[in-house]
Amino acid sequence: MICRIFNKVLIGIAALACVSLSVNATPWDKLTGEQLEQQLTEKFTQGKYSPKGADSCLMCHRKNEAVMAIFDGAHGAMNNKQSPMAGLQCEACHGPLGKHNKGGKEPMIAFGDDSKLSASAQNSVCQGCHNDPKQMAWHTSTHNLEEIACADCHNVHSAKDPALDQLMVNDTCTSCHLKEKADMNKRSSHPLKWDQMTCIDCHSPHGSMNESALNKPTINDTCYSCHAEKRGPLLWEHAPVTENCVTCHNPHGSVNEDMLNSRAPQLCQQCHAPDGHASRVVQEPGVDAFGGGKSCLNCHNKIHGSNHPSGSLFQR
Amino acid sequence: MTFKLNIITVSLLAMSGSVVAANFGVGNANTESVNMDKYQCKRCVSATGYSGSVSLLTGYNSPEDAHAGNALSSDEEGAIAAISGDVRYLNDTGYKASMQAHQLGMDNGFANIKVGKSGLYELELDYQAIKTFEAGDVRSQLWQNDGILTPSVYPNQFDLALQRENSAIGFSFGEGVYNTFVRFSQEEKTGHQSASFVAPSPTNFGLPVDSTTKQLDAGASLGGDNWLTELNYFGSYYSNNIDDLSLPYMNDVYSAAPDNQAHQLSLSGQYQLDRTVMSGRLVTGRMIQDDSLIQVSGNPLQSWDGQIDTFDGRFAVTSMLNNRLRVGASVDHSKRDNKSSSWEFTQYSYNSLSGAFKQNVPQDIERSTYKLNASYRLASGYRVQAGFDRKEIDRSYSEREQTDENNLWAKLSISALDSFNINVKASHGVRGGSEYEVNELTSSEDNALMRKYYLADRTRNAVELKLNHSPLSWVSIDLTGRYAIDDYDATIIGLTESQDYGYDLNISVQLSKGISAYGFAGQQWIDSTQAGSQSFSSPDWQANIQDEFINLGTGISYSGLMEEKLTLGGDYLFSNSISDTYLDGSAVTNSALQYGDYFAYNHSVNVYANYALSPKMALKLSYQYERYYDTDGAQMGINTVPGLTTLGELNHDYNAHQVMLSFSYLLR
Repeated sequence: MICRIFNKVLIGIAALACVSLSVNATPWDKLTGEQLEQQLTEKFTQGKYSPKGADSCLMCHRKNEAVMAIFDGAHGAMNNKQSPMAGLQCEACHGPLGKHNKGGKEPMIAFGDDSKLSASAQNSVCQGCHNDPKQMAWHTSTHNLEEIACADCHNVHSAKDPALDQLMVNDTCTSCHLKEKADMNKRSSHPLKWDQMTCIDCHSPHGSMNESALNKPTINDTCYSCHAEKRGPLLWEHAPVTENCVTCHNPHGSVNEDMLNSRAPQLCQQCHAPDGHASRVVQEPGVDAFGGGKSCLNCHNKIHGSNHPSGSLFQR
Repeated sequence: MTFKLNIITVSLLAMSGSVVAANFGVGNANTESVNMDKYQCKRCVSATGYSGSVSLLTGYNSPEDAHAGNALSSDEEGAIAAISGDVRYLNDTGYKASMQAHQLGMDNGFANIKVGKSGLYELELDYQAIKTFEAGDVRSQLWQNDGILTPSVYPNQFDLALQRENSAIGFSFGEGVYNTFVRFSQEEKTGHQSASFVAPSPTNFGLPVDSTTKQLDAGASLGGDNWLTELNYFGSYYSNNIDDLSLPYMNDVYSAAPDNQAHQLSLSGQYQLDRTVMSGRLVTGRMIQDDSLIQVSGNPLQSWDGQIDTFDGRFAVTSMLNNRLRVGASVDHSKRDNKSSSWEFTQYSYNSLSGAFKQNVPQDIERSTYKLNASYRLASGYRVQAGFDRKEIDRSYSEREQTDENNLWAKLSISALDSFNINVKASHGVRGGSEYEVNELTSSEDNALMRKYYLADRTRNAVELKLNHSPLSWVSIDLTGRYAIDDYDATIIGLTESQDYGYDLNISVQLSKGISAYGFAGQQWIDSTQAGSQSFSSPDWQANIQDEFINLGTGISYSGLMEEKLTLGGDYLFSNSISDTYLDGSAVTNSALQYGDYFAYNHSVNVYANYALSPKMALKLSYQYERYYDTDGAQMGINTVPGLTTLGELNHDYNAHQVMLSFSYLLR
């Protein structure tokens, strides 16, 4: 009985695979990426655009919901002169029709996972219009160097671009950034798993002129944009804190409280071993003031720096 | 071997000729034969009018513990209600508006309204509330009023929770070639956070938080066909409404975070010359803090003139030398010039004024980063990348005033296989620097064998494998595995070694048009070793910290049921964070090997049913369950140890439930 069910499932899976393959099959599937790019470049240069614009395309494609969803978003707006639909319409992005509608044997510029076109060729379409300051660091960005296509994150055939919606942007990023997706669920993390914060609150996916594609010039500047109370400058600074917040914290999440790389007292003892109490081994947590409560921070609570004239040891 | 030779042959052949990269930008289009007057767009669908949906949510919340408010967006027990929505409006002349709201009325929610004319101007109003819960019903004998913490026999009960409410208004205007914007936001942060003072014994207490941060940003940009430039101003103003805190019998036991402000002016630009792109930026900034200082004997100042001048500069270039080879380079320079004055102040020795004076040390930090990288396409679907990064940091008043880190990395990307994408990356980094000296100004005579881990010599080796496999068009499997080891080879006391390794696996399946499912699993281990010396000589104790994290999840969504009216779905998530510390060495007398429990686990279940009552109306019923448990051996009773007052044991152990019914009205 189990075998029979298993066989049926297998047959079902195989049938589904065949259906999905046959649906996606196109005459230009056998072309390599280079051949496809060359053919599309020739077509683009020839500029044989359709006489009727979108009407020519929609003659065949209007029953496709994904195609028609273009009219729900900004790229389908006909009353905005900057929108493709107010210009060359579908062909503004997908290139000149040529003989594509005559037997469907000529390829068009296609986007997304199934496109064999290189990311840079796909992106050249988007960059033809989107050449604004948000893209200023794109060319030197990790995403560009990793050959990420705009369509890997963005969907213009939609009322809602998943990369621009606060409730979807984290899912978009973590579909590739698996470790960061896991980090959100650690004992302590920024509230990303509930979409209260998003990856783009700190990072610029289009690249930035800062470390790790951060929005602000330095790591600390990024942290200060929400934690301004730690910005100071403070009369008594704790040197590693001033130098770099991630000396002690992991902003993506940690198995320790407060996103700390280790917990006190061990974290503190990775830097402090004077001839005094800070170097003593704390044998057990929860039995004295060194390993109980807030550990070292029971006394040195102003660990991010103090503005008390007598606060050099961060106790005031 | 044959394979290697083939690749080399192909790559040599490729280098002999270059092909111009495709540029399908609409500006390059050959539109000679186009006559757009004939475009009628009869088959186009007009999106003018209102579209989207508005939802009213009502339900029952049973958090059991305030900490559940993080996941449930409310820590209230009983009935809850909220409004969500996503509405767009567009008219024939291009005026548009959009409004998105999410759980307005609950502790965590947001609303955003944009109105304007496409491609010309836009006014944006934004509101966001975020509340994070640490612990509920915490008790302290101290009551705060006007900066005085008054002890009382009646306990003060409060939640350790912080609420942020951010309101913003922004306006942008521009027509593509030029763009301008101005945005003002104000965030109010209120609540309590755990803190501690010394008077003279340590006392943990709930620090009241009430502060305002204002942000003013403005900018203008101008661009041409192959260039862009942008000038921006960013200003941030922080004011703390909580004063320095005193006890009735001891003044200023806890200094407040001082009011401060920061300003940055940024000029950036980009220039594209054929297939070479150059970008650069200069940022000059100033951070100011001149709040009144606490007046104590031995303080020569009314207020301190805290001022940091910052400068950040960057120049980067990347060029596609031919269709296969890309090279890039960047130089960054960042300077933090501390202009604050330096004075001598009396310091406390525990409780009484010892008479010892200490001078504040305004630290300067200067960083330079140089990066070189190259990417070469060996053949279609085979690409190698390699790079060299060098970071130099100079810091004053430090045990080690100069550190430098060189990092060499290489990566192989294979996308030629039908259903596989493979990425392998390896890196080797070495940090060194100037002589490490014990500095009395900053570290008050540390053990000479101590090497602070952020300054110490370090060798870092890392490898990472990323694999994407699509065995069938409707199945996608992503696997990431990584291993990194940090070896602090010159450290005898301090952090000596750290290993970080793990994997993440994600599987997504689209079983049919209406059924999709996913599953993921991941584990991470971080093992760190550190040494200490309580005899102020050679190491006499070691700590081995073993962190472990497990993350599992699965979910399914089944739509199209009951004649396309019903969607059923569910998600499950499990995570477990563990940190075990093991102590060893002659100074360790405790027979227990393990330092104490320190772990947190969470089961999260969410199931829902979405039913379309009519083409315009829908009902959604959802149920969320949160099981959360955490423990920390360091937590202890309020007065368990004489001389230390804590806020009690703040561990969590709860089952939380939320049932929510939402009614949605679809505008189109």
